Amino acid sequence: MSEVQQALLSDDAKAKIDVWLAKYPADRRQSAIIPALHIAQEEHHGWLPENVIEAVADYVGIPHIAAFEVATFYSMYDLKPVGKHKIGVCTSISCMLRGSDELADHIKQRLDIDWDGTSSDGKFTLQEVECLGACRHAPAVLFDKAYLENVTPEDIDKIIAGEE
Amino acid sequence: MKTLKFYLKSFLLWELLVGLKLTGKYFFKKKITVQFPEESTPTSPRFRGMHALRRYPNGEERCIACKLCEAVCPALAITIESEPRSDGSRRTTRYDIDMFKCIYCGFCEESCPVDSIVETDNYNYHFENRGENIMTKPLLLAVGDKYEDSIAKKRQIDAEFR
Amino acid sequence: MTDETIEIEIDGKSLSAQPGQMLIEVADANDIRIPRFCYHKKLTVAANCRMCLVEVEKSPKPLPACATPVAPGMVVQTHSAKALDAQKSVMEFLLINHPLDCPICDQGGQCELQDVAMGYGKDVSRYTERKRVVADKDIGPLIATEMTRCIHCTRCVRFGEEVAGLRELGATGRGEFTEIGTYISHSIKSELSGNVIDLCPVGALTAKPSRFTSRPWELEQMPTIAPHDCVGSNMYLHTRRQEVMRAAPRENEALNETWLSDRDRFSYEGIHSKERLLTPRIKRNGKWVDVDWQTALNVAKIGLEKIIASHTAEKVGALISPSATTEEMYLLQKLLRSLDCHNVDHRLRQADFSGQGLAPNFYGTPIRFKELSTLDSILLVGSHLQYEQPIVNLKVRKASLAGGKVMALNPIDYDFNYPLHAKVIAKPFDMLNNLIAIAKVLAQGSSQGLPGTVAAANVEVNDNIRAIAAQLKASNSSALILGAIAFNHPQFNAMYELAELISDMSGSQLVCLPEGANSAGAWLAGAIPHREAVSLDIKKPGLDAKRMMEAKLKAYITFGIEPELDCANPSIVKRALDEADFNVVVTAFSSDSIDAFADVQLPLATFAETSGSYVNAEGGWQTFKGTVKPKGEARPGWKILRVLGNLFDVEGFAYTTSIEVQHELRKQLETLQIKNRQERRFNMDTPHIEGLQRISTWPIYRGDSLVRHAESLQQTTTNDPAAVAMNSKLAAELYLKDGGEAVVKQQYSEVRLPVRIDERVPDGCAYIPGGYSETAALGECFGKIDIERS
Repeated sequence: MSEVQQALLSDDAKAKIDVWLAKYPADRRQSAIIPALHIAQEEHHGWLPENVIEAVADYVGIPHIAAFEVATFYSMYDLKPVGKHKIGVCTSISCMLRGSDELADHIKQRLDIDWDGTSSDGKFTLQEVECLGACRHAPAVLFDKAYLENVTPEDIDKIIAGEE
Repeated sequence: MKTLKFYLKSFLLWELLVGLKLTGKYFFKKKITVQFPEESTPTSPRFRGMHALRRYPNGEERCIACKLCEAVCPALAITIESEPRSDGSRRTTRYDIDMFKCIYCGFCEESCPVDSIVETDNYNYHFENRGENIMTKPLLLAVGDKYEDSIAKKRQIDAEFR
Repeated sequence: MTDETIEIEIDGKSLSAQPGQMLIEVADANDIRIPRFCYHKKLTVAANCRMCLVEVEKSPKPLPACATPVAPGMVVQTHSAKALDAQKSVMEFLLINHPLDCPICDQGGQCELQDVAMGYGKDVSRYTERKRVVADKDIGPLIATEMTRCIHCTRCVRFGEEVAGLRELGATGRGEFTEIGTYISHSIKSELSGNVIDLCPVGALTAKPSRFTSRPWELEQMPTIAPHDCVGSNMYLHTRRQEVMRAAPRENEALNETWLSDRDRFSYEGIHSKERLLTPRIKRNGKWVDVDWQTALNVAKIGLEKIIASHTAEKVGALISPSATTEEMYLLQKLLRSLDCHNVDHRLRQADFSGQGLAPNFYGTPIRFKELSTLDSILLVGSHLQYEQPIVNLKVRKASLAGGKVMALNPIDYDFNYPLHAKVIAKPFDMLNNLIAIAKVLAQGSSQGLPGTVAAANVEVNDNIRAIAAQLKASNSSALILGAIAFNHPQFNAMYELAELISDMSGSQLVCLPEGANSAGAWLAGAIPHREAVSLDIKKPGLDAKRMMEAKLKAYITFGIEPELDCANPSIVKRALDEADFNVVVTAFSSDSIDAFADVQLPLATFAETSGSYVNAEGGWQTFKGTVKPKGEARPGWKILRVLGNLFDVEGFAYTTSIEVQHELRKQLETLQIKNRQERRFNMDTPHIEGLQRISTWPIYRGDSLVRHAESLQQTTTNDPAAVAMNSKLAAELYLKDGGEAVVKQQYSEVRLPVRIDERVPDGCAYIPGGYSETAALGECFGKIDIERS
C-alpha cells in the first residue's frame, strides 16, 4: 500500500478502525469492513471516493474489489458527493400510506432538487430510504443520524431552517 | 352394319376429324407457352433460385456470421469465416456458396435468424469458367442489392405462413 | 476419507456415498445429470443459481443438490414433478434478463445455459418488461466481456479468490443492479485468467483472441501437451480446416487438474504469426533466396562439411531449445556425435556448468507435483514460481491454504498469491551466503558436520534465516524448490549443492524446476555436451552453451531458438554468430537478427504441427501427435534432422515416424544408470562485485519464441516491460525518475532503457529482463552493470 493512499485515512480514523479490527479474530479482518467504511465516510464529507475505499481495503487488508462489493451493496454508503446533511425519507408502504410522498414532494420543492440531488448551497441531499422500522409512527425520516417520526412538512421546514 | 360403320369412318376420315377437333379446341384457347427469355412463367413466393445476402434499409449487411446456414447445409456448400469488424460487431470475412454443391433445399434460408441469406426467384444464371460456381460474399451482396425489392415483396406475401 | 458409507437413493437407484459429500457429487459420480450453473467441482459451493433444486423426501421444499449434504436413507428425486417444476421456474427467472443473442454469442453451441434451456426452458417468456442491460468491461486483451449475458453464478469471482489467488473480479451492486466486474476498470493480471472463460457457463466471458472466429460445432478437438513449462499441462487444441482456432485444458488430476495457464492457452497465436518462416531460405551473395528443401539441406550439409574438413568437427556447435521435443533433441545429438562433435546443449541461459559432471540424470522433482500441495513447508530458492511454473504455483498455493508455510530466498521481493512465512531478499551474489547461513543454522545442534568451505564461510545470520531453518527442520514434510533464477545464476552449482545439503539436513525434498518444457528430456536424450543419451558420460566432453559462444566456433546450428532473445549472454552470442563462417538456423520464426547471421534457414514446425514427446520434471513421458499440418513448407524438426542425417550418410537414421525415434531412445533408457550423488565440491567463493548488480529473468510471456509471437499475450500487463527497474532509493541516487530514460552499460555494450520504479528490487540492484530486442545488446543475466542518466 502506498503512503499517498494511506494518507487518505487520518490517524484518528485508523485508531477507530483498529477498535473494530480488535473485535474480530486476526484471520477475519474483513469482518470490520462495514464499520471501517462508515468511519472513512464520516471523515470524507459523507461520501466514499474510490481511492478512499481502496485505502480502507488496504488498511483492513482485503482485496480492493471486496471493499467495493460492500460499498456498492449497501445504500448507506454514498459513492458520489453529497451535501452536508442527508435527509433520508422512508417511502416503504407504511410511510407511503401516511404521506411520505407529500413529504418528499415538499422537500423537493423547497430545496429544488430531486431524489439523490443536492441543494444548490451544498447543504442537503435528499435520499430515498427503505423501511426504517418506524411504521407505527410513520412517516419516518432519517436526518443524518437523527431518527424522526411522525414527520410533517412543517417539521422538515423547521429543521431545514435551523440548519440554514 | 358393323362393316358399313367401319367403311364410313374410313372414307369420311372420322378419326382425323376427332383429332382435329382437339387441335381446333386448343387452337382457339388462350396460349400458355411463354417466349423465354423475353417472357417468363410466374414463380411462387417460396421459389428457391439463386442465393443472395440481404442488407438492412440503412445499408448495413444483415449477416452476423452465426454460421447456422453453414451447419445446416446438407450439401456442405457454404463456407464462412468471420472475425470482429473494426466496430466490434460480428461479421463474415468470407461467405462462399458452391453453386455446384448446392441442392437448393432452402435450409439456409430457413435457419437464418436475421433473414440474411435468401434464395431469390432468379433461376436464369450460368457459369462460363471454372471457379465461377463459387459465389463470394461481394457477389451475393450485389445480388441481394439488385433483387431486394422482389425479395422483400415475396417475403411480405409469404410472411403469414412463416 | 473414512470407510464409512451412507446409503442413499437417487431416482430410485440406491447409491453409496461418503459422509459430507453433497448430493450433486454423488449424482455426478453415478451419471445422474442434475442441471447446474454455479456449482463447479473445483470451487466452493455458492448455491446461488438454484438450478440444481431437487426433491428430497420429507423436505417441504426442493433443496439445492450442490449444497445439501447426504444423510443416511435420503430419498431424492431429480426429475419428479416437484423438482422439474422448481427447475423450470428457476430457468424462467434466469432467462428474464438473458439476451436472446445466441447467434452472435461465441458460447453458442457450447453454452450451459443454452443446453439447460433446451431441457427446462419455456419457449415463450412471460416477461414483458424491459430487460436489464449491463455495460461491458474492458478486462484486458485475453478476455472479452458481454456482461448483459451474465447470470451471476460467481464462478469467475470464486475462481479468482480460491484458485488464482488474485481477487480482481467481484459482484458489485445489489439485486437487479448486481454486476460482475473489476469496479475500477483495469486489465486482469492473473497468469491463470483464461480459466474464467471455461468456467463461465454463459457467454459473458469469452476468449478475445478467438472472438467471433469459429463455432464449437465446426472444431475438432485434438489432444496435445503444453510446450512452455516443465509440468507439461494436458490440453486440447481446437482446430478447423487445418488451423488451430483455440486451446482448452484437458483434465489431468495429477498435473494441471482442470486448469490451464494463460501462457499455454494463448500461445497458439504464435502459430499464425506473420513472422513464421514458411520456406527454406539460403543466403546467396548476401541476399536471401527462397529455395526448395533439397537445395537448402544440401547447402547446409556442404557448408558444415566444409567447416569440418577445413577445421575439425569440434569447431561446430549446436544449441537447441529446451522446449524442443525429446525426439528432436535425440536426433540432433545423434547427428552431431556421429560427426564426432559433442558441442550440443539446451541450457541456453545457464551460466555455471562447473558441476555438470556430478549432476543427476536430469534436474527434476523426486515427488509428484500434486504432493506439493500436501507439504508443511516449502522454500523457494531463486524462483518467481507464479510466473515461471503457474501450475506448480497452484499446488504450492494449495499447500499454503492448507496451512503449509511458504518461504522464499529471492533477489526480488516478488508478490506471491500466498503469504510468505519468512523471506530473504538478497542481491544475486548474496544469495549463496544466505543459503550457507541456513545450512549453518540447521547444523547447530546437529551431529552432521558441515563441509569445510561451508563451515569456513563467514556469513551473517538474521531472524529470517533462523525462521526458515526452524520451519524446515520442524516440519514433517518439506521441500526446497529451485527455480529459474537459481538455474541461471553464476553460482548455480554451489547453490544446488547447498540446496542438496540443506534438504538432507532438514529432511526436505529437493524440487528442481528448470525452464523449458523438456529440460528433463534433453538430459535423457543427451542434448548436453558431457553425456550421451541415457546419461553415458563422455570422456572428453564438448563445449557447453556458454563456452560454445565464448570459443567462437566456425559453424553453429541453432534449433528452435532466437539466439539473441533466448541465450544468457546475448552480446557474446551475437558476436560469436556474426563471426562464424557458417550458421544453420532451424527456426519457426524469422527475424532481422536471424537474417543477419544465418546462412541457411530451415522452417520448423511448432509444437502443434509436429509429433513427439515431452518429459516433465516428474520424469513422466507425454507423447503427442501433430494436430494440424505445418504452415507453408515448414516441417517437423525430427524429419529435418532425419533427412540431414541421411545426407551425411549417418547410419541408423532410417526412421519413418517419430515414435520409432522414441522407441530407440526408450529402449536404451532401460539400461539407464541412476546417477547418485557423488562428491560435492562446495566451491563457496563469491566474486566481489563493486557497484550495481544486474538481476535478469525472462518475463512470463518472453520465455520462448512461440509466446513471443503470441500477440494477445504480448499486450497483457502481466509481462515485465523492457525497462530497467530499480527502487526509489537507487533512482534518487542516480537522479532518475519513473518513466525517464537511463543509459545501461554492461561489459562491451550500452543500451538506453526507460526507467521503472519498483520497490521490490533490493538496494544496489537493477532488474533488466531478458527476451527483448531492446535488452539483447547487454551481457549476462547477473553481473556488474552501470546505469547513468541519459
